[in-house]
Amino acid sequence: MQWIALRWQPESEDKAGAEAEPAKAAPVLPMSLEALGWWALQFTPRVAWLDEALVLEVSACERLWGGQQPLMRLMTAWNPVPHSRIQKVQGATSLVALARMRLFALGQQPPADIPAGLPLHTLTAARDHLDVLARMGCRTWGDVAALPRGGLSRRFGAALREALDMAWGLRPERHAWLTLPDVFEQKLELPALAENAHELMWSANRLLAALQVWLRARQRGVLALELEWTLDLRRYNGVDLPPHQSIAVRTAEPTQDMAHLRRLMSERLALTKLAAPASWLRLRSVDTTPWAGASTSFLPEDNRKGDKLHELVERLSARLGPREVLVPAAQADHRAEGMQGWRPALRKVGAPMKPVTSAKSAKATVTATQRPDALFPPWLLREPLPLEVRDGHPWYQGRLQRLTGPQKLEAGWWGDNGGDEGGHPAVRDYYVAESPEAGLVWVFRERPSGCFVSDEARWFLQGLYA
Amino acid sequence: MGLPSVSSPFASFASARHNVWRGDELGVADMPVMGTGHAALDAELPGGGWPVGAMTELLQDRPEAHVWQLLLPALAQAVDARGGPVVLIGAPHEPFGPSLAAAGLPTECLMWIRSEASAARLWACQQALRCADVAAVLAWLPQARVGELRRLQLAAAQHEGLLFVMRPASVAQSASPARLRLQVVSAEAGRMDVHLLKRRGPPLTQALSLPARSGRMSALLAASQWRRQRSRPQDIGEIAATQDAAKGATVVRLDLRLRREEGRHAVDRLAVAA
Repeated sequence: MQWIALRWQPESEDKAGAEAEPAKAAPVLPMSLEALGWWALQFTPRVAWLDEALVLEVSACERLWGGQQPLMRLMTAWNPVPHSRIQKVQGATSLVALARMRLFALGQQPPADIPAGLPLHTLTAARDHLDVLARMGCRTWGDVAALPRGGLSRRFGAALREALDMAWGLRPERHAWLTLPDVFEQKLELPALAENAHELMWSANRLLAALQVWLRARQRGVLALELEWTLDLRRYNGVDLPPHQSIAVRTAEPTQDMAHLRRLMSERLALTKLAAPASWLRLRSVDTTPWAGASTSFLPEDNRKGDKLHELVERLSARLGPREVLVPAAQADHRAEGMQGWRPALRKVGAPMKPVTSAKSAKATVTATQRPDALFPPWLLREPLPLEVRDGHPWYQGRLQRLTGPQKLEAGWWGDNGGDEGGHPAVRDYYVAESPEAGLVWVFRERPSGCFVSDEARWFLQGLYA
Repeated sequence: MGLPSVSSPFASFASARHNVWRGDELGVADMPVMGTGHAALDAELPGGGWPVGAMTELLQDRPEAHVWQLLLPALAQAVDARGGPVVLIGAPHEPFGPSLAAAGLPTECLMWIRSEASAARLWACQQALRCADVAAVLAWLPQARVGELRRLQLAAAQHEGLLFVMRPASVAQSASPARLRLQVVSAEAGRMDVHLLKRRGPPLTQALSLPARSGRMSALLAASQWRRQRSRPQDIGEIAATQDAAKGATVVRLDLRLRREEGRHAVDRLAVAA
């Protein structure tokens, strides 16, 4: 059996502080202990927390990683906690590894005779009885192990003897092995009550870091997340409050990259108002898919730096609102306002925009310029602007001079008044006209027809060439 | 009157010459360019096209005017090359997809960001520039300040797309970080005058005259004008002068018309009589 004990230590903490308080609990890390355990699961399936250290049983997997030293170097290189270093100590059993780590933290040299020579204070099971054992003359593990078994168990309980047996390898070790949950869900108490949504972000970052470790360990990409916070008050300003508030964050493509999710989350939080101060934060993965990974290309045109399109769309939609970021959709209609619809880009983003091949598009362009579409104006007024009529001539920033036309259109008679088609049929004569100020404009005259009779011709502006 | 002692060290630095730009010649583009599709404009731009990865400013009074006519060939080319969307930020009107598609810019390659606030537009512009897939960004930023434009220029330098910023003509005299500044003024007879306010090269004193309408539209307008002229009585004089044949028939039609529209074309009648 071969064990490695790991412990994280912030880099800023000087060694003197560590020596002064060796039994202190692990310093606050920007990542939960649970997540650190998940991280270690990539090396070996046997990982457990033992007191303040994470112990890994590596005898079965050492060869896979090329031996113990390469494995330890990998652990250093893949350190998940920034600005910290990992103390790595190996031993024949988990207790020995832990004891050596404690000695290392105290700055003492491990004894030559292991485990018999290890000092007693490094054994957790013996800590309660240190004084008594010391008065009995027992200073090392070997001294205690030499005492008669029956008497030792009666005097100090079975736990001490069991621990010693485990340390010598006489008895199998029992650990609560860490496993990866199927769904990510972590709770975190905020360091202080959060008054506004922005203050949640710092703690949410810790949860996101843990989520990333979980995703990598499970080889999944996240599609949807839920961030929930517990409100500290039940009633506020005379209003009963729900116990929780939450926001959901969605992305179009599965990701393990937390930067994008963090940005989306902070945009969402910026638009959210806390009903009352929050005390706890919980992050849950709602939807995940298997992570396919990405194949890298060596071609320079495939390796453009920058964000992906769906990230851009999601970020813009999160801040400006999904109704402000639009993509067009062509529709089959003869009326100009019906030829295209705009819909939120967020919904479409799943299907990436396909660039047409150049030869095909060149051909398409040639045929497209032959179509009557080429004469349509590039700017459209969705609501046709009613034009003033002076002396029988339509007026838009000056008297309009008709240049071409009419192009006659009669459509929309199938639409019912209440339906989406919108009101009365369109019976129009389109003209290209020139305004002295605005240049070429696209206007139409509503032609009196059988079913829609108006007494005088009404003129509308529908497009600008300019 | 070059000094011979100085000329020889310069000759040894001949390889460095391409890094030296003399103020009286057109600058050589140190970054890729995208052809504008207008030959007259290409000839006057450093490198022969719109700078890619730098900001180009278009100044004009009416924010919607001439934009598509000037930019569509380059946009179609950029979309073709990169396949990404063209992002319109704060467009003054709704862009009409069928018309743009006919000019080579596919409808599905448009993205329209409607935003009124100036700060939101700038932010959206920066975000769009950071995206790898975006082919071009067209932003209408009437209220942008120089500092904000400089930030956009820096963002554009990180990015290999086109960035066009539309601003009012009133800022023509103020400083700008843009690599290229153009002022577009409508001119007579369906043309526009493009003043190159800033470029890497000698100042251009005379404005470039480019067609302000698409070829198809110009052809249509010319055809309908010709037809109108032919059918309209007042121009008969010219036609009669140019067309010796069938003179009599035209005169007959003219007389009929004149009789119908009595008094309206008294001057024309005089011209014809003369």
